[in-house]
Amino acid sequence: MAQIIWDGLFVGSFYALIALGYSMVYGIIKLLNFAHGDLYMVGAFIGYFLLTSAGGAATSLGLFALIVVMMLSMLITGTIGVVVERLAYRPLRGAPRLAVLITAVGASFALEYGVAAIASPNPRGFPIRLDGEIIMVLGARVTLPQITLMLIAAVLMFALDRYIRKTSTGRAMRSISLDMKGSLLMGVNVNAVISRTFFIGSALAGAAGVMAGAYYGKIDFLMGFIIGLKAFTAAVIGGIGNIRGAMLGGLVLGLVEAFGSDLVGGQWRDAFAFAVLILFLTLRPTGILGERVTERV
Amino acid sequence: MKLGKRAGAMLGIATAVLLTTTACSGGLLGGDTEGGDETGTIKIGMIVPTSGSSAPTGTSMSKGAQLAVDEINEAGGVLDGRMLELVVGDGACDAQQAVASANKLVSSGVVISVGGYCSGATLPTLPIFDKAGVPMIIPAANSQDLVNEGLKSVFLINGTGLQQSTAALDFIKKQGYATVALVDDNTSYSVDITTETEKQITEDGAAEVVLNTSVNAGESDYSSVVRDITSSAADVIYWTGYYQEGGLIIDQLKKAGYEGDIIVADGSADSTLAEIAGAAAEGVFATMTPTPNTIAGAESWIEDFEAAFGEEPKPYSTQSYDAVRLAAAAFEDAGSTDTDEVIAALEAIDGFDAFSGPLSFTPEHTLASGGFVILVMKDGDFVLHDDLQ
Repeated sequence: MAQIIWDGLFVGSFYALIALGYSMVYGIIKLLNFAHGDLYMVGAFIGYFLLTSAGGAATSLGLFALIVVMMLSMLITGTIGVVVERLAYRPLRGAPRLAVLITAVGASFALEYGVAAIASPNPRGFPIRLDGEIIMVLGARVTLPQITLMLIAAVLMFALDRYIRKTSTGRAMRSISLDMKGSLLMGVNVNAVISRTFFIGSALAGAAGVMAGAYYGKIDFLMGFIIGLKAFTAAVIGGIGNIRGAMLGGLVLGLVEAFGSDLVGGQWRDAFAFAVLILFLTLRPTGILGERVTERV
Repeated sequence: MKLGKRAGAMLGIATAVLLTTTACSGGLLGGDTEGGDETGTIKIGMIVPTSGSSAPTGTSMSKGAQLAVDEINEAGGVLDGRMLELVVGDGACDAQQAVASANKLVSSGVVISVGGYCSGATLPTLPIFDKAGVPMIIPAANSQDLVNEGLKSVFLINGTGLQQSTAALDFIKKQGYATVALVDDNTSYSVDITTETEKQITEDGAAEVVLNTSVNAGESDYSSVVRDITSSAADVIYWTGYYQEGGLIIDQLKKAGYEGDIIVADGSADSTLAEIAGAAAEGVFATMTPTPNTIAGAESWIEDFEAAFGEEPKPYSTQSYDAVRLAAAAFEDAGSTDTDEVIAALEAIDGFDAFSGPLSFTPEHTLASGGFVILVMKDGDFVLHDDLQ
């Protein structure tokens, strides 16, 4: 039982990190950024190339090198996210919602197969492996890397929450999500704030990508596809557009999957996760923490 | 809009006309060279992927076949000095591309086919070769579906999924495992092996299947199946999917404190498995068809291959080499390249000296024995552990 909860929370924290980017972008410009899961993949590949080019020096430093690489990867992935927004989404700002949605699918494929073309479609083993002591907590096997990664995720999410609630940029983000035209009239530099939103969301996905690479040990160019859909599910469960909802939704989805697959067998895990998505969309489209009625695409 | 439609229709007609003419000329050309030709070079067709992600293996297979062709020609050819000529078509692991290549090979007048790597791309080419009277010796593709077609002209010299299950059972009995967990990745090939293995284990009764489950391919976290396996207390797990997921599952199993043994099927018998699973992959067993570096006594052959092509042979290049030699032997036995006589000669083959051991065919035209061996992961690479002979 404790093991199931722990496994669920661990996977859930990955979902939460990625769901944040989905939710922030949706909250502000009402766009389901389907390329978001692929930014997670791009982040993992950037981490891979940084670590391999640093060579043996990086691998001997272990966790410290990993955190440095993660920060660099966050910067680069964030920038890529901004570029994607600038090239693919901003020109369509006034276009019908459906056109932008299709563009997002296009951006997703462009990233996937771009990486496949550059880095070859073969899977790669990550140069740094996080192995650590097993600690028994209430009958659950918990490893040190798991705790470290969850702590990193928690710190990132806490920082984001503070940023959005306490800073002027955060205030600008919230005002744009309420009324974009109004914010523009009030002197908010809308485009700059949207760029920043994409930067933060993509950087978080990049961090999750590096963490997943280091923990699971394998990266490939399609690794962002399913987890992107799962993160979207998490964002919907929590209430899409709501930042704290995305965090909660990620953890809830992780737990639902863990208990679901324990109940009906591992091969049903995805069926279970997406059945929950359908259930939420029918019964409570605003999600657990959603206050306002969100328009669905 | 109207104009566009009309232009489209005209284009359509033009294409149709073009297609029919090429098809006709292809047919005529095929008629010219086929059958009655009693002298001149003998064309051997081979469809392997020479583009796409399987291209490295496919290209190496065609080189293995070329090596055999060159050796036979140097030794004076077959049927009183007729030379062999290898014609390679790209199958790209894609059904449509493979069908197009098969038609092309047939119209270029090949009398036997020694290709076939991806089962999905090989299956639709069977009726094309069969109708054209071209017997097939398939070196790598090994889906049970190829056998189920029931064509007289199809011979498989790679072990099939069914034989893989038998090899797994033999090894399980040899090692004395009492409880077995079977895990597949929900693809038809992988599920076929677990289903067949469970059937054979249950019939045999020496061991017990305590878990038969599936995972979804393409994910990173397999904690649920890992929990299932550790709580089932299996002595050994048999994973029949590919190395991408296999590597992750092995790593996560070891992290969760699993101490039993692990066997993987041929889809995971790749050194990339060790790259993904890291140290956890050490000591993992695999059921695999013989590859050049795991065959005892193949060292001189590997040297020949490297001397001819400047690179190491890859899996299935030995089978491709054997397929050509087998075809040549069948021509000699039959005394001609006539379809029925060659098929009869192949059926009568007994104890042919192949890399996988003495080769003869079952009534279903699959290998009578020696299809699979057991490998073990040592220092990041699979080496021969037990040839199950």
